[in-house]
Formats: sequence, structure tokens, C-alpha cells
Amino acid sequence: MLVDRQDINPFHPCSKKSSMNVKGLDFFFNPASVAIVGASPAQGKISNIIIQSLKASGFPGAIYPVNPKYPVVEGMECYPSIAAINEDIDIAVFAVPAASTPDALKHAGSRVKGAIIVGGGFSEMGQEGGRLQEEIKAIVRERSIRVIGPNCMGIYDAVSRLDTFFLPLERIKRPAKGVLSIISQSGSFAVTAMDELATEGIGIARVVSYGNKADVNETDCLRFLAGDGQTGAVAIYIESIDNGAGFIEAARECALKKPVIALKVGRYGAGASAARSHTGAIAGRYEAYRAAFRKAGVVELDGYEDFVNGCKAFGSLRPASGNRAVIITDGGGIGVDLADTCQAIGLKVPQLDGALKRELESIFPPFFIASNPVDLTGSATDKLYAEALEKTLSTDSFDIAIVVALWGPPGLTDGFAAAIASTASSIGKPVVVCAPGGAWSREKNRLFMKYGLPVFPTPGGAARAAAILSKAKGRHGQS
Amino acid sequence: MGRADAERIVRARLKSGGHTLTEPEAKGLLRSYSIPVPRSRVVKDAIGAVEAAEAIGYPVVLKVVSPDILHKTEAGGVATGISDSRELKERLSRMLLKLADERPTANIEGFLVEETALKGVEVIAGVVRDEQFGPLVMFGTGGVAVELMRDVSFRLAPMTKDEALGMICEVKGFPLLTGFRGDTPKDLDALAETIIRLSEIALEIGEIKEIEINPLIVHENGAVAVDARAVLR
Repeated sequence: MLVDRQDINPFHPCSKKSSMNVKGLDFFFNPASVAIVGASPAQGKISNIIIQSLKASGFPGAIYPVNPKYPVVEGMECYPSIAAINEDIDIAVFAVPAASTPDALKHAGSRVKGAIIVGGGFSEMGQEGGRLQEEIKAIVRERSIRVIGPNCMGIYDAVSRLDTFFLPLERIKRPAKGVLSIISQSGSFAVTAMDELATEGIGIARVVSYGNKADVNETDCLRFLAGDGQTGAVAIYIESIDNGAGFIEAARECALKKPVIALKVGRYGAGASAARSHTGAIAGRYEAYRAAFRKAGVVELDGYEDFVNGCKAFGSLRPASGNRAVIITDGGGIGVDLADTCQAIGLKVPQLDGALKRELESIFPPFFIASNPVDLTGSATDKLYAEALEKTLSTDSFDIAIVVALWGPPGLTDGFAAAIASTASSIGKPVVVCAPGGAWSREKNRLFMKYGLPVFPTPGGAARAAAILSKAKGRHGQS
Repeated sequence: MGRADAERIVRARLKSGGHTLTEPEAKGLLRSYSIPVPRSRVVKDAIGAVEAAEAIGYPVVLKVVSPDILHKTEAGGVATGISDSRELKERLSRMLLKLADERPTANIEGFLVEETALKGVEVIAGVVRDEQFGPLVMFGTGGVAVELMRDVSFRLAPMTKDEALGMICEVKGFPLLTGFRGDTPKDLDALAETIIRLSEIALEIGEIKEIEINPLIVHENGAVAVDARAVLR
């Protein structure tokens, strides 16, 4: 039996080691069919939300509700079992109680390529749950099936339009198709970031929430995303890593091709207990993670806010080729504060060279300050902003620009964002927008989002985004 | 010299039921990986100590050798700047009395008589084995205050020369090594080489849980491991 399956699928995972095969995961991101095991017509049930999300997202493949209790779910024929479906299934989503999951999985095992087990009640819930998870692992080893989860949200994929994130669409906004992919041990973390990104108009390629990782883990996902043409950058949320060497190798391979940014949480756990050397007393687990990120060329993130900053940056922009920032502002105070923040976190804010300074002074009215920050004052207009950006960022002196957009001056119109965006795209270097302010400003900031420029409401956020963009430099090509 | 020697030292200690290498054993490990250590000899008593000191040349340092005493200075087990045989004998007997007070149950295997190290910049280099990522290498400045100052950097083994130089440049105290306040610039190359060799010991000898050189004294030419400790699994 096992031998037959391996003949059919040469990438079959017959051991934990071979389960790291990239090709083994492709079908999760390009499924022709999805079965929902435990499908229910009851509104608000996990299985019901998934079916509704799949219909709403326009998932182009076949959807098979499975539940012996119902003939029809959400207007679709509901099958009593996977065996009753006359086709092979790419993905079966299991939304059944933990205790019945192993049997359901065994049942489906010969007919499906992969399973997403969204339910909880496994290793995160003590001994009995741990035993159920071991059963799932055994099934993975015995049969040619890959498993995402349990205790996860599965996949939100703006490319294949698969959506197993079982939270109602009106509560959690789904992002449009973009270039950033997210992999996350925590479902709620990924989904919250995703909701924020969607609200800010930042697109997503794939999001994988793999939960307890009975089979598929961060290393498998990284291997897939490294070779995924739809993914331009990868953000990772990590609680723990199973195989340090495998992770470093996969992350390094991925980071050579595209920016990889990562947040590790749970930093302050006990260090090496009873350490007898100074080294042992100082080195906690987090130092090892930091060193691993560094070795792999992964940019380290600092907390949820930073994760979202990094996702916004790489969801919209390419890496900066260096860390020299020019700041263009219409308010002196915010500009200087931003310059301080930038320098505190390792960005350079170099002065304009003499020739450039003289050129700006000859173009601009005398009360503009041709320095870095370039201060256009309250007399700023769309055109002056665009000119200042063009003159400074297009020189070899700068790698990235931060445009401080304070919407108070009446010279700024609805054409402001378009003017900045088109200048930025003609120069071909990243431009980050820092736009603090109240109701009017927040409303107008949507214009920047519309033109694909990431907007940050605080100097700290904008500076961090610029720093993250500059840290991934030089490791990969521009495609 | 090399891995086989290091393994022999580690196995012998494990066989005796111990999990901490004495200073001469830890230095034996370093020597087997070509990390320079001061000239020294392990002796049993005052007569042996005087013989050793004459061979090495005064002034010498005297240190207790005991698998039960990891922090020798605190226990009164270190005497420095000993200039002749009379002083050596006197300080050795004083050390014995002090140890009898401080660590009455410690098994004293002997004494280390060692040449006095030349002055230089004192740094620390250590490795701890991370259960997930393997040997995690630390470099830092601050000598005995390293745990207070935390002016340290980390890398994972195996390391390249660039990684070793990178972790040296990263600490705040780096200018101490490049000629701070009129001092001479120190041998960064030898320092990087020492860190890499230390990481290789941890990579190749799986029984090592922690290994540390403190202080590692960096000179204009070369770097010398003046004290070392190692903990086994």
C-alpha cells in the first residue's frame, strides 16, 4: 500500500526528513478541489464560515461539503463521507472535534493529498490532546498525506483564492492579491496583521497558519515560498523552531531570493538554567534565535507593531540598497524628530552635498530650508514636494526617502499622493510616508494607500519601516 | 594535537564522574586546537612548584587545581605576581590554609604554576550549546563585569572569518582594541582566529556544554587564553 502511494507520488513523505520536500506542498497552494469535513448549515460554525468564505472569494476549484447528517449545505450537495465523493481531493479541511479527527483523517487518507486540521484540543491542551496529535503524526508517516495544523487557521491564499480562515468576512477583511506572504505559528496573530494590511490596502500572496505543526512547519513553508513566483517577500511569526539547522538552511535559501523578515516571541523565558560560565549566564534562548536570523540573512522584527510595519513596507516596496535616508517635510518639528528616530535605529540622515544644496536654494523660495530634513514649510505644494523628492532621492547620496505629509497647509491637494507616487516610481527607490494627524489627515492618507505607498501614523513607525527596508539590502536581485 | 587530544581530556574527566574541567584541562583543550595559552606546569606541592617556577621564570602566577572550584579567585585560589621561591612557598601555604577555610570539602588535585601574562586588552570569548541551534558563540568586553555590562555579541557556529570579525566590531568596547587613547592597535586577526577555534572545539566535541576563555588577552601580536573553564554534559 505504502509502496503504491510512493509510486504515484515520488515526493511522498515517508519520514520526517523527507517530509521537508518542497514539491510535497505545492498542491496546498493550487488546489483543484477542497472538501470540508464536518460541514454544517449552522451560521457562525467554523465549517460554515469556511464554505461561505470560499464562495465569496471566488475559489475556482470544486467545493465538497462532507457530513452524513445533511443532504445539502449552503446550497451545495453534501456528501456522507469523503469516500462517497467520486473524485480524488486535493485538500480536506477537518472541522470536527479533536477526538474524532484521527479516525476521520485515516478514513480520508487514501483519497486526499493534504489535510488542514483547524480544530484545537491537541498538544496545546495537555496529555490527552498530545496523544491525539501523536496519532495524527503516525497517520502522516504511514500514509501519503500532508497535514497543516492542528490548532491553526490554515491558508488564506489571494492567488489560489483558498480561504480556510474561519473568521467572518465582515469582521476580518481579506487582503487583495499582493506580493507578501506570511507564515505564522499563531492564527490570531496572522489574521490580525492580515486584517490591518487589508484595511490599509496592502495586498498579500499567501498566509499560512500552521499551529501545532504535526507535519508542515516553518521550514517546509519557507522552502515552498523560496521557489514561489507569486511571493516577493516573506514575513514569519515564530514561537519555536523544531529543527534549527533546517530552518537556517531554508531561511537562507529563501533570503537569497527575496526579503525575509521575522518576529520571534517568548524572548524572556529562562536562559540556560544553572549555567556555570558567564557566557551561559548571559546567553538566553533569544540570543540563539537572533544569531540564527543573522546567519540566514533574515531581518529581525521587534514585536507586533514592528511586524505590521515590516509587512506594510515589504507589501508595497522593494528593499533599499543602503541606509541613507532623505527626509522631506512641511513641518520642521516632526521632520527633526523623525531624523533623530532614524539615527537612533541605525539609519543615516546625511547632509545634502554643496552642489545639491545650492541647486535647491536656486529653485525654491528663500524661506525653504535646503538641508536634511528638507523643510518645505507651510507653503508646501504638491509640485514642490515632488520636485524636492526628485532632486534629492535621484542622486547617488540617498537610498530611501521618508516623506512627512502633514496635511494642514492648504497648498496640498488630492493630487499630492499621486505626485509623490509617480516621482517615486520614476526614481525606482523606496519612499515611505510618515503622516501623523487627525480626522482630515487620516482620510486623505487613503490616497497614499491607493497609490501603493505605505503610510505610517508615527515617526517611529516610518523610521522602523525604512530601517527594515534597508536591512534586507543586497541579498537578492530586483525580481 | 587536535581533536583526539581534546577528546581524551574530556573522556578522562567524564570517566572520573566529573562534569567540570579544571583549568589545566580546559587549557589542554585550547592548546589541542592551537589556541595559545601561557606556559605552565601542574605540580603537587611546594617543591614541585619551585621547580616549575624556575623552569618557567619569575614572576609567576599560582592557581589551585580543583574540579570543585570553578571560581578560583573568590575561593582564595589565585596568587599573582610571585617574584621568588621564598614568596612562592609562603603564598602556597597561605592558599592552602585559606582553601581549607573556604572550601573544606573541595578535592584539590594540585597547583598550576604559570608564567605571568603580558598586559593587553582583556576580552571574553565563550560558547554555550543551544539545544536547537547548536554552539552559540559569545564575544564581549568588560572582563569580570561582563555580566553587568552585557557588552557582548553572538553568532552561531560554524563561523566564517567575516562573522568572527563582525562580532568583534559589533560590541561597544570595540575601540579598546583599535588603539583607544593612545594605546597600540591589537591583533584582531588573531582574536578572530581564536574565536573560530573555540567554536570548532564546541562543534567537534559534543560533550561540551559550555566553554569559555576569560580573560582572553589580546596583544599587538597574538592573543593568549589566560583563564579558561569548560562544563560537560
